[in-house]
Amino acid sequence: MSSVLACDRLTVRYGGKTAVDRVTLDVPAGRMVGVIGANGAGKSTLINALAGWSRGRPEVEGEVVLGGEPVSGLSAYRRAHRGLLLVPEGKGIFGGLTVEENMALVRTPADTRDRHAFGEDEIFALFPRLRERLHHKGTALSGGERQMLAISCALRAAPRVLLLDEPSVGLAPRLVLELLKRMRQLVDLGLSILLVEQNVRAALSVVDDVYLLERGTVVAHGPAEEMREDKRVVEAYLGRSDIEIAEPGSPHP
Amino acid sequence: MILVQQFINGLVLGSGYALIALGWTVLLGAARLVNFAHGQLYMLGAFVAWFVMEQAGVPYFVSIPVSVLAVALLGAFMQASMTRLVMEQNLTSLMIVTLGFGYMLTGGAAILFGGAPQTLDSPLQGMAVRTGGVWFTLQDVLILACALVLFAAVWLVLNRTRIGAMVRAIAEDPKLAQLFGINAPLVYLGIFVFEAATVALAATLVAPRTPILTSMGFEEVILTFMIVVLGGIGSVGGSLAAGFGLGMFTAFFGTFVSPAYTTAAAFGFVLVLLSVRPKGLARR
Ligand SMILES: Nc1ncnc2c1ncn2[C@@H]1O[C@H](COP(=O)(O)OP(=O)(O)OP(=O)(O)O)[C@@H](O)[C@H]1O
Ligand SMILES: [Mg+2]
Repeated sequence: MSSVLACDRLTVRYGGKTAVDRVTLDVPAGRMVGVIGANGAGKSTLINALAGWSRGRPEVEGEVVLGGEPVSGLSAYRRAHRGLLLVPEGKGIFGGLTVEENMALVRTPADTRDRHAFGEDEIFALFPRLRERLHHKGTALSGGERQMLAISCALRAAPRVLLLDEPSVGLAPRLVLELLKRMRQLVDLGLSILLVEQNVRAALSVVDDVYLLERGTVVAHGPAEEMREDKRVVEAYLGRSDIEIAEPGSPHP
Repeated sequence: MILVQQFINGLVLGSGYALIALGWTVLLGAARLVNFAHGQLYMLGAFVAWFVMEQAGVPYFVSIPVSVLAVALLGAFMQASMTRLVMEQNLTSLMIVTLGFGYMLTGGAAILFGGAPQTLDSPLQGMAVRTGGVWFTLQDVLILACALVLFAAVWLVLNRTRIGAMVRAIAEDPKLAQLFGINAPLVYLGIFVFEAATVALAATLVAPRTPILTSMGFEEVILTFMIVVLGGIGSVGGSLAAGFGLGMFTAFFGTFVSPAYTTAAAFGFVLVLLSVRPKGLARR
């Protein structure tokens, strides 16, 4: 299976402190891959480093490969042009701009071979609320609406692979699964997604593969079905009795 | 009649002030950057125009684009040498660096152009209109017209175009802008070039009204700062209003009280206004 995004022994340090340690990871084309782990495990640091982006000043080492081409030397906006799109943790939109302006900031690339740029209609079909909010400023949106807008902006840029860092933060529990399922639908249509998610149970019900991160290193990795049974995952994130309770309608029971 | 005359003077002074401040309005307001060499760029704009008129014998209206281009290039150079500070929005360092840059410009200009006062000769400065006891020059009309047109254009670009949205996005969060595929350093470069170009344009238009000196610039940068703050940082309409307000104040205070204390009084006026309206004149 061809890989759309991969990294090889990616190491990220803040000052002298290693936050991500020799992580090797692979997102196969048309798949949804999850990264789970405790607070501070290095999930955001990892996903940001893949996108070549950070709010801090990390030192990054190791190769990042997008669709077979190394992109480690490219700055974040160039990686975005090439279809590596990150929706960061927390604030992912411009509060001073309207929904429409936020979306118009993104320019659909000229060359979209083997990529799909989502048009307005597709985006409004995915997130109908955004249509009603079109002329509202970002600051006037609810937390969930902001997440929808951030994801929509990334979709407009014709992602080869979409990196989502905790898209469900601030959503009501019922909406978390709904959002993730919609993301899953996009994957079933051909998109590739790397998902960082705190809500492990919900994440496990939509992803194909899972990486478990602890203190910056991958301690377990495998298909979601297997990882659901993994002792470390069960103990730390699911709790014993939960294993059997698969989400109804999950595409990967 | 003296009231009408002072009103006209205020209008012309004010549009000059506003023109000088326009670049900073965008720079500080939209991009959250400062350039304290702004006043020296004004000086340079006037002197480059004067120099090419004197040396190359080009007409005034050709000297304008030459000066705008030259100072814009200098702005690009300045920005390029400060990219790191700009990307980190390190305003304190930027203040020091640009202040230093300004001093270098003053020194360089003194060597290049000499210390004597000069006149930037505009043919329109000699064309006066006298009617009903008031008078003004065609240069005055040009200044007013340019101020109105440029402010309208900048407002439209900032609020109605994708480039404007990009500038506002970068002002809010330059890091995030990168994830939207925006080349932030390039946009910053554009903003700096715009700032330098508009202050040079302002200089070529306003400077013919008074003698020019290579030591000038300090007053312009203070004035600009006042207008931008008074207008409500980043508000294009606010800056225009503040420019006119300050122009009117200078004209009337200078005539009816004393021209010697105008600047001090203007500062007092700004202080009072800001204590009543901390966000300046802007509605937001
Ligand atoms: N800008 C920064 N400067 C210095 N250290 C940082 C910075 N960002 C993160 N770290 C450190 O790196 C480690 C990993 O942080 P990271 O944000 O990647 O964790 P995370 O797994 O995303 O956690 P969470 O689940 O809370 O989002 C932490 O120890 C954190 O303190
Ligand atoms: Mg995180």
